Amino acid sequence: MIRYLLKRLFWMVPLLVGISLISFLIMHLAPGDITNSEASFNPKASEESRQKLRELYNLDKPVIVQYGLWLKRMVKLDFGTSFASHQKPVFWETKDAEGNVIKGMIQEALPITLLINVLSLGLIIFAAVPLGVVSAITQNRPPDRAITLFVFIGFAIPGFWLALMLMYWTGVVHDWLPISGIHSLNHDKMSAWGQLWDTLTHLALPVFISGLSGLAGISLFIRNGMLDVLHQDYITTARAKGLAENTVVYRHALRNAMLPLITILGLAIPGLIGGSVIAESIFAIPGMGKLFYDAVLMRDFPVIMGILTIGSALTLLGNLIADLAYAWADPRVRRGVM
Amino acid sequence: MGILVSIGLLMTACGKVPGGNAADFDQSYPPSSGGTLIDATAGEPSGLIPMIAGEAAASAVASNIFNSLLKYDKNLELQGELAQNWSVSPDQKTITFKLKPGLKWADGKPLTSADVLFTWKLVTDDNTRTPYGSDYKLVIRAETPDAATFRVSYANPYAPALDSWAGLQILPEHLLKGQDINTTSFRFKPVGSHYYKLEEWKPGERISLVRNPNSTQGPPRIDRLVSRFIPDPAAQFLELLADNIDSMTLNPIQYSRIVPSREDLKQKLALYKELGNNYTYLGFNLKHKPFDDIRVRQAINYAIDKQELIDGVLLGMGEPVSSPYKPGTRWTNPDLSPYPYDPNKAIALMKAAGYTGRDKEGYLLRDGKRLSFDILTNQNKQREMSAVLVQRRLKEIGIDANIRVMEWASFIGRFIKTGDFDVVLLGWGLSLDPDQYSIWHSSQQAPGQFNFIGYNNPRVDKLLEQGRLELNPDKRMKIYHEFASILLADSPIVYLYAGYGLPAIHKRVKGIDNPAPPAGIGYNSYDWYIPPPLRRNEISQ
Repeated sequence: MIRYLLKRLFWMVPLLVGISLISFLIMHLAPGDITNSEASFNPKASEESRQKLRELYNLDKPVIVQYGLWLKRMVKLDFGTSFASHQKPVFWETKDAEGNVIKGMIQEALPITLLINVLSLGLIIFAAVPLGVVSAITQNRPPDRAITLFVFIGFAIPGFWLALMLMYWTGVVHDWLPISGIHSLNHDKMSAWGQLWDTLTHLALPVFISGLSGLAGISLFIRNGMLDVLHQDYITTARAKGLAENTVVYRHALRNAMLPLITILGLAIPGLIGGSVIAESIFAIPGMGKLFYDAVLMRDFPVIMGILTIGSALTLLGNLIADLAYAWADPRVRRGVM
Repeated sequence: MGILVSIGLLMTACGKVPGGNAADFDQSYPPSSGGTLIDATAGEPSGLIPMIAGEAAASAVASNIFNSLLKYDKNLELQGELAQNWSVSPDQKTITFKLKPGLKWADGKPLTSADVLFTWKLVTDDNTRTPYGSDYKLVIRAETPDAATFRVSYANPYAPALDSWAGLQILPEHLLKGQDINTTSFRFKPVGSHYYKLEEWKPGERISLVRNPNSTQGPPRIDRLVSRFIPDPAAQFLELLADNIDSMTLNPIQYSRIVPSREDLKQKLALYKELGNNYTYLGFNLKHKPFDDIRVRQAINYAIDKQELIDGVLLGMGEPVSSPYKPGTRWTNPDLSPYPYDPNKAIALMKAAGYTGRDKEGYLLRDGKRLSFDILTNQNKQREMSAVLVQRRLKEIGIDANIRVMEWASFIGRFIKTGDFDVVLLGWGLSLDPDQYSIWHSSQQAPGQFNFIGYNNPRVDKLLEQGRLELNPDKRMKIYHEFASILLADSPIVYLYAGYGLPAIHKRVKGIDNPAPPAGIGYNSYDWYIPPPLRRNEISQ
């Protein structure tokens, strides 16, 4: 088991280097660089000044040299500083000359994105599993039809449109929930419970919106998995033995139908980091999705590479965790791994 | 997306009145001090040192914190800000600024000419990561004969110099000396000399400013300014409807359809209209055939109905322009008017240019070849809609235009810098100084420079050179009037429109000039006030 783990971890290093090289090259294939956006194509910004900027950012060097410089820093886990954001550290806080702490961009954005995505993942699992099961055991009857309709609506409705309509309905017309942002203006003056409540009310809509399409997908997935399992011989055997229907469904069928979900959750880990650009932009939440989107538009290479690297590392780790969890859950797989 | 939401809101227009019936916002109140004004910006500043953070969000906040030597008044004429007065030497090569007495930084330290000299040294330092150094590098000598005097000399007279000194915000030497301007923590906790000082910056959420008791310009009326970062314009609009922000810039649909259709919004929102500092144009690549032929350019100019664009794209919220200057300012030549919509004249001009035949689909042919090109533009809804209307009008006279929409950095990097385009639909921002050397002079055509359409006219070159050497505003005006009339006749670009900025401000904010002067409604924002009965309770304490 330990040998298997070490082998997997060892192979991650060349994989990560390969992914980062490809990402770096693709990023530089896109035309334009930070100096296009930074000076906003302003006649007051002369070409000489922009050339000077390019030199200060090392953008005048060949791409492979730039990659080498990047990799050299990465070995020391130094993600560099942002081009666009006034030399802010990309990943983690540093101290400036006067000893002031300057927080890292990912450090600031990551917790809020993680929180939203963990909550929406929780919402997905806790709502999707019962929905899928009910849908499967009432196949082609009214509950199943209603759930299937909900699933299709969840897939089809544009998230940004629903978000805006809900913001209008719950924020403008009824004043039930805040419209955007993550805290109220007077958040700092609230009690601890008040602050918690304030944050939760701000999170309600973003969590619902970012969870909705996942909820639809996973419940459909559980439904189909359950239907497959319910037609297996061993279920027929269990029923023939006279087991109670609940025992058959929840103890024998559900456990097997849930197995593939482990893989999906493992693969969802990088999604937790990437977050949702749409939800974060509409709700004005300073998370990772928005950070990445802005960085791409600005051609802020250090930030793009920082997020891609962390995302790739987490994808690889997610795969490993999914494999291990699957082996733990399914004895047939375990023999190959351990 | 904004349009979809707008339609959604229009459909719910007859719904319940949000917020209920509040105070009478139309009542008049005497001016008083206090209160909080909340607005929204789409982007978060990258820092608050204006010369380094080049983006609009940073300058919007920094302009409340820092002062320049000069500023523009309500009619866009220069006046002193930190400078009490300034004088230009007879040979027009030296400018001497006299500072106002008793200037102070927000921390109470005196502000002197040494700070101005320090700021000039910073902006011209090669290690300062600023794209805006070039104007200041033309200064060959900068000196401070005494604490209240700052003098700069140029090798040749340089007329845009005064505008450049209105653009350089002065930084405190005592806080920045010996520090790396690119990485100093001052960028996140600046100390300035203007009406407001930084109170708090919550990354990703908001910046709040409070009144600076040492303000060099006297006290403003409103105590606190809060800028919330809300990237999505539709979300900003919802926040405005819910009274959570006090002001934002509307789009034409919100301005002319949604707000007027709803009684509750009309009661609490005041709408203003100010001509923006930019215009939208269709630009030809003059190095490509057949755009080197003035008849083809003029034909296209006649074929486009500018009023249709203003009505269709801006819902009437704009003006036609015929020179690259803001209408209503002295630099606009009053004798010029845009090319009228005249398709017959357009067809005649195309015939004169050799397009005599037509193919089966009705497109014009010259030597058996159809005139067909791409109109390139960037992801900007108004420009995309304009391109569609232009395409239809060109089709009517037999020109085949396709539309290609690109993301901004790719657009600049792939097409503009390489000169690989036929026609672009873009906008130019207008600086308040009339000098447009970098856009129209024939020497400015190298990759990355701004005369990317390849305009070359010796007379225009001469005028642009003269205009830079003339500091007398009346003489300068004549030069730029002639420049604009040649440019219009040559038609290297088709001026499409200049759109209005459409701010909506909650009626609780009083003291705003309406109609807006040329400088826009914000020129006297220090005089705006919020009467005590109309203030928000929760944050005005």
